[in-house]
This record gives sequence, structure tokens and C-alpha cells, in this order.
Amino acid sequence: MKVHIKRWHAIAQWRWDTGAADADMDDGDDGEGDVCGICRVPYEGCCPSCKMPGDDCPLIWGECTHVFHMHCLLKWIGTAASKQQCPMDRRAWVTAERKVATTGS
Amino acid sequence: MTTYPLENLVQTRWQNTFDRLNGGEPGITGLLNISQAWNTAREFLRPRDIREPNSKERNLPVVKTCFDALNEAKLLPRLLETFVEDIRQQESLITAEVSSFMAKYDESEDVTVVKSMLRRLVEWWKAWAPIHELGYTLLSTFNLEFQTHLFSILPSSFPSAFKKLCQSTVGAEPDAQLWGDFERLGLLDRYENLIASVCYEQIEGQVLETCVGRWNEPMLAGLRGWMADKIVPWMILPYARGAKTHEETRSMLQGIGSRFDFHVCKTLCDLRTSEIFDIIVDYPDSNCALLDLKECLQRVDQRSQLVQALRRLNRKRLLHPGADTKDILTQYVLMIRCLRIIDPPGVLLYKVADPVRRYLRERPDTIRSIVASLVGEGGDLVDENEPIQPLQTQFEDYSDPNWEPEAIDAGPEFRTNKPSDVISTLVSIYDSKDLFVKELQVLLAQRLLAIKDGNFEKERQNIEILKLRFGDAALQVCEVMLRDMTDSRRIDQHVQSQKASNLHPTIISKHFWPALQASTLNMPGQFKTIQQTYAKEFTTFKPDKRLRWLPHLGTVELSIELQDRTVEVEVSPLDAAIIELFGSGGKTAWNSQEIIAELGDIDNSSLNKAMMTWIDRGVLFDRGDGTYEVLEIATSAVKAARPPAPKRPAAQPEAPPVVTVQQQEAEQMRVYWKFIEGMLTNLGSLPLDRIQTMLKFAPGYSRTIEQLGTFMEAARREGLVTESGGQYRLNK
Repeated sequence: MKVHIKRWHAIAQWRWDTGAADADMDDGDDGEGDVCGICRVPYEGCCPSCKMPGDDCPLIWGECTHVFHMHCLLKWIGTAASKQQCPMDRRAWVTAERKVATTGS
Repeated sequence: MTTYPLENLVQTRWQNTFDRLNGGEPGITGLLNISQAWNTAREFLRPRDIREPNSKERNLPVVKTCFDALNEAKLLPRLLETFVEDIRQQESLITAEVSSFMAKYDESEDVTVVKSMLRRLVEWWKAWAPIHELGYTLLSTFNLEFQTHLFSILPSSFPSAFKKLCQSTVGAEPDAQLWGDFERLGLLDRYENLIASVCYEQIEGQVLETCVGRWNEPMLAGLRGWMADKIVPWMILPYARGAKTHEETRSMLQGIGSRFDFHVCKTLCDLRTSEIFDIIVDYPDSNCALLDLKECLQRVDQRSQLVQALRRLNRKRLLHPGADTKDILTQYVLMIRCLRIIDPPGVLLYKVADPVRRYLRERPDTIRSIVASLVGEGGDLVDENEPIQPLQTQFEDYSDPNWEPEAIDAGPEFRTNKPSDVISTLVSIYDSKDLFVKELQVLLAQRLLAIKDGNFEKERQNIEILKLRFGDAALQVCEVMLRDMTDSRRIDQHVQSQKASNLHPTIISKHFWPALQASTLNMPGQFKTIQQTYAKEFTTFKPDKRLRWLPHLGTVELSIELQDRTVEVEVSPLDAAIIELFGSGGKTAWNSQEIIAELGDIDNSSLNKAMMTWIDRGVLFDRGDGTYEVLEIATSAVKAARPPAPKRPAAQPEAPPVVTVQQQEAEQMRVYWKFIEGMLTNLGSLPLDRIQTMLKFAPGYSRTIEQLGTFMEAARREGLVTESGGQYRLNK
């Protein structure tokens, strides 16, 4: 017997690749997922000023491994009190370069 | 000495009386004259038996002078008394006649007997009645005496006989003499109600005959025409006999006529009220009946009866567990439409709708049914032609020149909802529209996930329409869902252009979709490869994103090549995964345990169902020892044993993949149960309101105390807690 797939309509969820959560992801068993440290909304949700999640409300990765909604962080950085620091560890905020090649494999 | 004045007094009196009677005639000639006159007058008045021939000549002028003489002597009152006395002596004659007539009637039930009896009575009356010239007093005294006697001797069967007689005159040639007789005998006044009731009965009979169950044509006008043709001509005799001119007739009939017209309205109104439920069911065919009812209600104040009748009928026929929620909703919508016709301000509707709405609120699937009709599943609730209006609180517009005050029977909490459409009314069953939006989301998710060809224009349309009602903000989530659909398609197009695949996923934004059932299904063999390849392409396209499959959702179209045939099927992923197990490896026979070990944790019932799918399709067969094998060659034995199974839509799982709102709530409550358990462990026993107060500190807790009460009650039934005097305590 041979089984040929003619067409497969599947359902999938997308989620951000936050780096640290890679291991969890393969388990596929984390219920809520991580939240943005600023607005406390899940990464896959959208920041308070956005309506559409995903590409319209992207994340920003810091070298300090902290991840936020980009809009949230930019707003934070825009305030004088921030002193251009990461809100989590008070180190100077440096946006990380995403290494596409490694994540793809 | 003492008797002298008395003697004097008596003598003076005597002299005066004598003078009066004697009239100043010489000697006692005056007295003789008076006595002569008395005798003549009495003889003249004496009631005779009319059966005896009456030969005596009556000399009117002589009688007249006699009366004048008596009048002069002031003896008329005495004469009157004597006359009455005489009548009383003769009354037995009439009594005998009446009883013989009535006995005849009782035997034959023939109204003509009554008629001739009345005729005869009039003859008696005529024979005994003093002539007009003798003055009104005499006549009226006679009438009173005659009628008093007559009424006292009429047997109890007479009223019904009289009524029959009246009935027999309806529609017949007008018999002016008969009605004249009635009046002469005083029957008209005495039996006025009876005569009116004849008319009422005619009306009721006509209404019942022509109008029962006929709702598709206006009846009131026809009834009024019938009144004018049949009843009014009859009415002229009893009620407007004295009228000389047309105008006079009209004015005399006006009062009684409007009474009967009222009765027509009332009868029709009663009838329609008793039929109201079925009239509503038949709407719009029953439009005419509703308009009739509306007109009747304006004339007859029976609004509260209508409300009560409809409420009672609703309770009896609609608001019980045997009725489908959808039917209740349909009937409710029809009710809205119908009562709007009868009563545009909506007061009746408000009163009738209240129990229905309360009942609907208690049904768990009401929202689902409403939402289903909102998005056009069996959408007969919604009238396409109705203008769509945004949901908002309606304020009274007092500057509107057509503004009307609330109806007088509107209750204090009556809300005018004049301009709102049916959907708004349905949605307003619940206090907030959030519930609807939630349910709408679930329903939309189900429908979107079932779409395979990427054509969801209809859903988009629906959402656009619903946005007008609920507002953009409320439907933001649905908007995201729709955009996920568009994005999925775009992504798929891109991925396909890079590397063609027969996998076409719908990629969703997890937090904007209702909770989906979790599963641990592992797709085996080529499925896994395809998934991984696709995921890799996706990540190349969107470097920051990953895909997480929900493997048990979706559908697969397969073509299965067997030795002697090819089977084309569309199945669920689980079915596909199982057949892949049989097809890919060298192993051709599998039992349930092995399948479960390979595919992950599948519950037995869904596994069995999947196996049945394949057995039904003749691809696998059960070897009997709990293992299954591929049926490479369709043997005649198997075919005979298993007739072609009825085609069933295998692609559609019975349980919707989306977790319903209730399930979600139950899931959430499980979390709070931990809190409650902790509280009760630490504090012993607690009343419900304390638990509620403490739970309010818990994040995201939004239950009402009633919901908590239901929950605690459920916990008590399960034996987790005990309750005494309102205090809950853990069951140890």
C-alpha cells in the first residue's frame, strides 16, 4: 500500500524566536509563553499601542538577552529616566544582531 | 261639657262633606247624581272577561261627564282605588290564560305560541285599559298594576322563551306590531338585557363562524359590514321605533350601535387574543389579523388581557425544556415583529418579552444560537432588509415633532426601544455584549479553521456587518483572526514559490484565537518530513518566527494505492497518521497499543473512531485479535460481510476543535478552586460572601457571587465540601 498526500490543510501557530525559549518550544508544552517585561503582554500578543500582532508589532532583542516589544522599548528609551538602559538589568541597551543563519538550521 | 266641642267638630265635618258631594243641589239630588256617576264610571272601567261578548254600548260623553262630576267631588282617588281593586279581582283570568299558553309552549317549544300569547295579552290589556281621555294618572296606574301582575305570573321559562322569540325575529321581515306589543306590555324595559344579549349572541356567532383561524384577510371591516346589513335593520324596531325621520333614527341608534360595535371589537379581540400564539407563528401571513387586533385594542381596553394570554401561552408552549433554543428565538423574533405592529411603542412587547428574555438568559446555548444567526448560519432570525444600526443606548428625542409619550400602561422600568432592530433586541437579552463577542470569536474560529481553499470572503463580510453593530474595538480580535487568514495565504504562496509543498497551513496568532484543544499527536513518516520542510521554509521567510503545529487540526486529502484499487479520501490528520503507519514501514499489522506508542497519547475512543473510518472505507480490517491489517485486495468475503458503508463526512470531527466558552470557564475555575481549598484549609469554614471577597484579590477573577455559588454547589455535590448554615467547609 502506498499513501500519497494530495493536499494537507494544517493549522499552526507562529511564535517569536526569543532565543532562550528554544528548548521549551520543541517541547511544545508551555501554556502561556513569555511576556514582555514592560507591558506584561505575551510576546505573541501586541503592545498596548498596537492592534495587530506579528510583523506589525515586532520584538526587539537586546544583547543582554532581554526581549521586549519594540514599541514598548522604544517608548521607554525615549523617556529621560531610562538613561538608555535596559529596564530589566540597567545595563546600557544594545540591540542584538539577529543571526538568521543559525536560527534557520 | 267636654263632648260638646267634639260633637260640634263632627257636625261641621259632616256638613262640609255633604256640601262637597251634594254640590249645592237642593235636598240630596247632588248625592244621588254623584252616586249615579260613580256607578257609571265604575261600570265603565270594570275589567271584563274578553271571552264574553261585550254588548254594552259605551257612551263616551256620558262617561266623561260622570268623571267630571266625580272629579268635582274629589272622588277620583277613591275611584282609582276601586278600579285597582276590580282589576285584582279579575286578574285570575289572565293568570289562567298565561299558564295555559306557557304549558303549551313548554310542550312544543314553539315560539309562535309565545307570540300568540303576547298577542292575547295585548288584547286583554286593550280591553281593560282606560281610555286616554280619562287622564294620564289612570292609565299609568293601570299599566303599573297590569304589568306588576303580569310579571309576577310569568313562569321562569318565559325569559328564555322570550329570547327565542327575539332571536326568531333577527333577519326576518321586521314585525313592527310585535315590537309594539312588547312595548305595550312593558317587556322592552324589563327584558332590555335579554334583547341586547340576543344581539350579542348574534355577533359572537358571526365572529366565531367567519373569523376563527382565518388570519390572512382583514375581518373587522367585513364584520362591520355584516352589522350594517343584518343587525342594524333589526335594531331599528327595538331601539328606534319612535323615530320619524332618518336623522332621528340615526341619533337614537347611536348609543346602542356603538355598544354593539364595541361588542364586535371585543369578541374579535377575545378570539384573536386566544389565538395570538399561532397568529405569531404564522406571521407574516397573519398580518391582517394583527391589524384587526390593533384596531380592536384601540376600541377595547384589553391590552393587559392580551399580555397575560400571550405570557401564559408562551409559558405553556414555548418556555419549556422541550423547545429548541433556536425555535424559541425564532418565535421571539416573530413576537417582536408582531407586537410592533399591534403596539408600535413596544409596551406590550416589553411586558411579554420579559419572561422570554429571562428564560433565554438561563439557556446555555442562547448566545451560540444568536451568534450563529448573526453570522448567517440558518439566519432566518435576521431580516436582510432591516437597516443595520449600531448598538447604543437610545435616548428620547424630545425635539422630534412626532414624539409620543409612553403608553399609559408602561411600567416604570419600561425602556423605549423604538428604533432598535431585532438583532439589537436579541443582543440586549444580556447585559453586556462581551459574551456575544466571545462566542462570536469561537464560532468564527470554527468556521475559519474549516476553510481549506482560503476563501473567507463571506466571513469577512459578516464581520464587517457585525462591526457596525458592535463597534470596531469589540471585534478587534476577529479582525486579527481574519488577517491571520490573509497572512497565511500570503506566506503559503511565498513558501510554495520557493519550494512547492502539498501542505497548506493556516497560521494563527495564538492569543487572538479562542483556546484550541491541545494534543500530543506526532505525525509519522512523510507527514513529519513535510511539516519540517515547511517549517524551515517559513523560518527562512520570517527569520524571527517559528511555527508550532497543531497536528490534530485540519484535514488531509489522501490517495491510497492498494493492489487492486485506489482509494481517494479526505480525512482528519489522526486518520492520516494511522494509515501512514500502515503504509510506510514494513509492518503491516498494528494493534492499538503500538499505534498509541507511535503517535503519542491518543485517547481510545478517538483511536477507535479512526480505525472504524478506515474499516468503513475498506482499507483496513480487524483481524479479530485487536490488531488491524491492510486490506490489499478487496476480497469478496469482506465485501459481503461489510456492505458499502454510508458515506459519512469523515473530514468533520464531531467535536468542534475550539474549546467553548463554558469549557474555558470551567478550566479557569479549576485554578480558583486551589485558592478556595487553601482558604478553607486555613480558616476552617467560610460563608460564600467571604470566599467571594477573598477571591477578588486573585488576579483575573471576575465571577459574580451567583456564579461562585453555583460552583460551590457543584463542589458540594462532588463531595469536596460540606455546607451547613451557609458556611462551607472542606470535606475530610
